Amino acid sequence: MTPLTLASWLESAPDWVISLPEGLQTLLFQLYQTFIYQDRWTWFVDGLKVTFIVTIGALIMGIIIGLIIAIIRTAHDSQRAGKRNPVLGVLNAVCKVYLTVIRGTPMMVQLLIMGFVILVPKDDTGSLICGVITLGINSGAYVAEIARSGLMSISAGQMEAGRSLGLNYWQTMRYIIIPQAIKNILPALGNEMITLLKDTSLVSVIMLRDVTKQAQNIVANTYTPFVPYISLAVIYLVLVIILTKLLGIFERRLRASDRR
Amino acid sequence: MIDVRNLHKAFGDHEVLKGVNEHIEKGEKVVIIGPSGSGKSTFLRCLNLLEEPTSGDIVFEGQNITSKETDINLVRRKMGMVFQQFNLFPHLTVRENIKLAPVKLKVMTDEEADKRAMQLLERVGLPDKADSYPIQLSGGQQQRIAIARALAMNPDVMLFDEPTSALDPEMVGEVLEIMKELADEGMTMVVVTHEMGFAREVGTRVLFMDGGNIVEQNEPKEFFANPKHPRLKDFLSKVL
Repeated sequence: MTPLTLASWLESAPDWVISLPEGLQTLLFQLYQTFIYQDRWTWFVDGLKVTFIVTIGALIMGIIIGLIIAIIRTAHDSQRAGKRNPVLGVLNAVCKVYLTVIRGTPMMVQLLIMGFVILVPKDDTGSLICGVITLGINSGAYVAEIARSGLMSISAGQMEAGRSLGLNYWQTMRYIIIPQAIKNILPALGNEMITLLKDTSLVSVIMLRDVTKQAQNIVANTYTPFVPYISLAVIYLVLVIILTKLLGIFERRLRASDRR
Repeated sequence: MIDVRNLHKAFGDHEVLKGVNEHIEKGEKVVIIGPSGSGKSTFLRCLNLLEEPTSGDIVFEGQNITSKETDINLVRRKMGMVFQQFNLFPHLTVRENIKLAPVKLKVMTDEEADKRAMQLLERVGLPDKADSYPIQLSGGQQQRIAIARALAMNPDVMLFDEPTSALDPEMVGEVLEIMKELADEGMTMVVVTHEMGFAREVGTRVLFMDGGNIVEQNEPKEFFANPKHPRLKDFLSKVL
């Protein structure tokens, strides 16, 4: 197939396009090339699907890992001297190693290691799972510290009040401490979600065709990077704005008990 | 009802309780006074094991609660506690604060707990605050709710840890009034306080703690009129 050029496109273009100044003609042509020609907008849609799956999957995984680690670390740290539980001590040490390794190495390197050394996925689904796991494990380390700060922000009196009523440690955590902690960490957690969403752009190194990879593919076909990459930036920007709005709504709802 | 034998409690090297022995009968209103650092709050908090004793025994209703086999959570249902800082759950409404333990521990159905909560709110004079959040209430109101919350589990004894110390002076009265009513209804109470008037009026026995031990105790009239221990004489001369 002969490549589409500005000249050949102008031949079939409507008259109003031809009457435009040259700069605008080029821009329109590039937009056409990026989105409409060969239905390339579907490339973006396909890429967005991957981006969404990886983001949401990693988010859920990260929150679960993070909460578990935060609870272990807080439970360990709130023990009294001389009354330490050895199992908790081991778990706490494992958590600390995990936090150190994950926070101490770049996400890109983690993806390369998971993709080419540890998991080595064979097909698209495998790559997708590999991406979710890697980002989930990465995010978990950051969520863990955010969640821990949330748990520590609740005064010891809340735990005492819960325990004095006969609730056990987990019941008190679940009904009293965690609901309050979530409210306190929501802004920081939102930050982590935004970071995670944007970091999914790295998954192309393990052969995942996310929205960033698809934009690169389009550039590889058109040799004109301007419109695809600016569009890509706009797509991420819109996604982050939507996410921020959703978090804002959620936060306002949780703040109902703060109104005097 | 509560039997404390040779109770020791140390925080690291710092010995706070040095072998306390005490017996509290059903229906007694025991008021504990003493200077700060004397161990009175620690003693009270040991009674429901919020502080774990270093050594010694606490027997509550015939059960040694310091033994490993005892499920302390079941014991605590029978011991209500009121804190200096109220410690209401700020994310829950007043009604939910009171209902939480009975419902989650499956002692009452949601409906029963609701009825009980309203009944208790009536009793502490705040029925119209059921759907408010703690932050919307004054300190005195919060402490009255905290008392209602502790009563929701129908405890056999109520422990008060300086319940009026964090209150504005004009709110102290309303809380003491509720406590007095509770005492008149026959509740067993152990109260750590600086309110000498309350000790004199409501207490059936007053304990003076100093340096990690109970150094003197008596029924209130005699306690305040004829203190014997020099440390108590000195203390009373400063606070009265």
